[in-house]
Amino acid sequence: MHPLLLTFMIFGIPALIGLLYVFVRGTPSLRRYIVTRVALTIPMVLILASLVFLVLRIIPGDPVTSSLGPKGSPEVKEQMRANLGLNDPIIVQYLSFLGDVVTLDFGDAMTSGQRPVVDELGEKFPATIELIVPAALVALTIGVLFGTFAAVRRKRASDYGFRLFSVVIYSMPVFWLGLLLILVFGVWLGWAPTGGRIDAVINTTLERTTNMLTVDSLISLNWAAFWSALHHLVLPTLTLGLILSGVFLRLTRINVVETNEEDYIAAARARGIKERTVTYKHALKNAMIPVVTLIGLQVAILLGGAVLTETVFNWPGMGRYLVERIGLRDFTAVQSTIVMFAVFVALISLAVDILYSLLDPRVRY
Amino acid sequence: MKRSLTVFTLLLAFALVAAACSSSDEDATTTTGAAASSTTQADTPTTAAAATTTTAADTSSGETTLIIGTTDAISSLDGSDAYAVHDWELLKNVGEGLLRWEPGSGDKLVAGSAEDFGAFSDDGLSYTIKLKSGQLFGDGTPLTASGYAAQINDRLLVLEGSGGVGPALGQPYLTSVEAVDDLTIKFNLSDTWGFFEQLLAGAPYIPLNPTQFPAGADAALVEFPEAPIYGNGPWYIDSYFLGETTVLKPNPKYQGSLTPQVDQVIIRYFDKPEGMRDALLDGSIDVAWRILGPDILAELQDAGFNVETVAGGAIRYFIVNHTRAPSDDPNVYKAIASLIDRDDISDRVFAGFVEPLYSPVPVGFLGATEVFDDLYGSPDIPAAQALLEASGYTADSPLQLEVAYPPEHYGGTVADSMQVISEQLEASGAIEVTLVAQEWSEYIGAVIGGVDYSVSLLGWFYDYPDPDNYLTPFVANGGLGTMITDPDTGAGISAAAQALADKIAEAAANGDQAIRKTLYEEAQAMYAELVVTLPLWFEAEHIVYGDNVAGSDAFGSLEQLNIGATIEYNYATNSKG
Repeated sequence: MHPLLLTFMIFGIPALIGLLYVFVRGTPSLRRYIVTRVALTIPMVLILASLVFLVLRIIPGDPVTSSLGPKGSPEVKEQMRANLGLNDPIIVQYLSFLGDVVTLDFGDAMTSGQRPVVDELGEKFPATIELIVPAALVALTIGVLFGTFAAVRRKRASDYGFRLFSVVIYSMPVFWLGLLLILVFGVWLGWAPTGGRIDAVINTTLERTTNMLTVDSLISLNWAAFWSALHHLVLPTLTLGLILSGVFLRLTRINVVETNEEDYIAAARARGIKERTVTYKHALKNAMIPVVTLIGLQVAILLGGAVLTETVFNWPGMGRYLVERIGLRDFTAVQSTIVMFAVFVALISLAVDILYSLLDPRVRY
Repeated sequence: MKRSLTVFTLLLAFALVAAACSSSDEDATTTTGAAASSTTQADTPTTAAAATTTTAADTSSGETTLIIGTTDAISSLDGSDAYAVHDWELLKNVGEGLLRWEPGSGDKLVAGSAEDFGAFSDDGLSYTIKLKSGQLFGDGTPLTASGYAAQINDRLLVLEGSGGVGPALGQPYLTSVEAVDDLTIKFNLSDTWGFFEQLLAGAPYIPLNPTQFPAGADAALVEFPEAPIYGNGPWYIDSYFLGETTVLKPNPKYQGSLTPQVDQVIIRYFDKPEGMRDALLDGSIDVAWRILGPDILAELQDAGFNVETVAGGAIRYFIVNHTRAPSDDPNVYKAIASLIDRDDISDRVFAGFVEPLYSPVPVGFLGATEVFDDLYGSPDIPAAQALLEASGYTADSPLQLEVAYPPEHYGGTVADSMQVISEQLEASGAIEVTLVAQEWSEYIGAVIGGVDYSVSLLGWFYDYPDPDNYLTPFVANGGLGTMITDPDTGAGISAAAQALADKIAEAAANGDQAIRKTLYEEAQAMYAELVVTLPLWFEAEHIVYGDNVAGSDAFGSLEQLNIGATIEYNYATNSKG
């Protein structure tokens, strides 16, 4: 089974079942909202894809001269252009491209051996997912924990410290933080690998199925590979996660502070409920609602940050792939990758909005 | 909420189990490399059974693994199409050509899969050579003359590659290949090509396994075949993941003289040289090969690694457009040639890690001279000023010169080197330089088109290690933007240009290496007089490794792990202690 399909199954099946559950059990307005959002995703993706198509054809350069450089005779280059359909009228190219998008046939890359783009994405997309999912978890965990801690210790030194941390960490360029972590923990202390996804020797023992190495190693019960993959995830995940944790920290803190001032919280305290229970069971739960919403927005930032993180840590994900293909003017690969990004962000955003309505019964669409 | 969470968890577990069950049914019939990893288990069940239970420690029990880092990437593993340096490197380790370069040498051809060197016919239009008997590809497929002839006739001479350049090393030079008998091969040449044996040592002529690279009616390019990939060379590719790793293991059927010294070679691919540096520092790789900048090399040298310079094959030069003002003025282009101080560039930008280049043909190649130094002083500012003044350019009325370059394509040092060159040109007092940075995709088309730029920077790596490949491309048919000859007709724009084109063609057709040497020396003098291109520096390659890695003293360039001027890295000569 194709790794891309497997990756979608792993995340998509539970999500789909969850969506169906919500659809069945939800209110009529929520059902209408879900249908509308799903329906709107299609023209959104098509518009975005068309824009990308247009921009790529407007900017100078083409995949043939980019990849051949000074090598290759003019006849060879012209033949290549014909083979790639670059000499066809622009409307023909556009309609062909739209047809590919609609049929989910991403076509072949125009450079580097003209591999099917779906095969290339099958390698890169799982690698990016393997990076951004734990990074999101790290961001949430650090942000929510520290944010709550800061809110509880409001106006004390620790509160100021965490707020300063959030501003500093969010302002840091992600590549700079990555390089710093590599230098300190990778080179000086030797506690973590400086790049890559797994030890090269252990990699030869790992059977790849989904191309998410932690998952594949669990599937094949290859514990050496699992720990190596996990070990290699530490620094890039921390890099991405720390950067994002800043905004989650601040948002959590503000919301917990506001929630702490609500009457029902005062009532809970008056009833003698322990402070920890008041904070983490009552205040935090309600304060999390806007934080959940933010996750949807941050996914797009995560993907953007992943480009730089993948470059710094030599992580063969979609971000690096996209940058490389833009430089090569590989129209097919770029268009397909951006369509995939767009669909991914749209689906996450939809999931977050639905989750939001479930968390807050007051929300009506 | 708890029940929902339970349901979700169970569903996720189900998805994982489903994925695990599907892996045993995985269909590996695609011709891309994406599923390459899974084919190892289908094809070599014994290996797979061991693979799932071994740990890194078990793998290393009695086994040595050499891990090589590189910033190169695989573009094609089909010898009929492959062109990139790394593609050829892999092909030359997995396959063994009829002729090959001796490891560590820059000019010593030896017989590889052939019994001995072949022979040209009296008219020079055919070349006959005999294979060693009993050779097998790694999967047991026999290597025969008829199979090889079919490979060349049906693939190299016919198929249009995605790069289109691999076939360019076959189609212009051959008309056909015949199998005279089971082992004897006859190449029918399109002309008398004096460098044909050098060409034969190139990757397009390496025997390909017909079971993976079929000829005949099934002939098609297979740029990313499923692993394992077997050739007739010392290694086979056990698995590869594009952009991540390639794993090579000793070919059990190899019969040649290059016996692997380690049990496994892993190539690790890096996006940036900094990542490769860090991997070397933390011990993740044993060798760093292509391409490291001067600051990283210096850093690694300080850290105690062996940093060795390989003669290299890449050059940097200015394309001088001979049909566009002001570079169409001989006084201008000669003045520019007189102002370039290559040592200054090497010292200030590259910390001495590049070699000044005084000829289009680098030192070490047949007939190489240093003619630009002889002719132009390099630098000779008074001579340059006199030339500029002769064309009316003085301090009061300076020459306005645009110099174009691609800031990102050749690495981070390009911008610095252009700045230094700009200062050198302006040191004449009669030139004002405007540097024009252009992104590669747009830049290269503009340079080769010969319209937009007067002076532009380019790099070149040989297709075959012969002076012809450093001269012909810049003279024939527009010369990649020099416009010294007409792009359509190939006629020289002047008598001198035509004489140069004729001289180069004469040298290419002559089979006598001594005569070729003389002809190339003359051609370089004519080339320098016209300043067809302005050679700047020879970008040597660098290899960095720890003390636990060594080359073989049976071959040359021991400190460079037996990598000679042909830039061929034979993994078989390296050992790891």
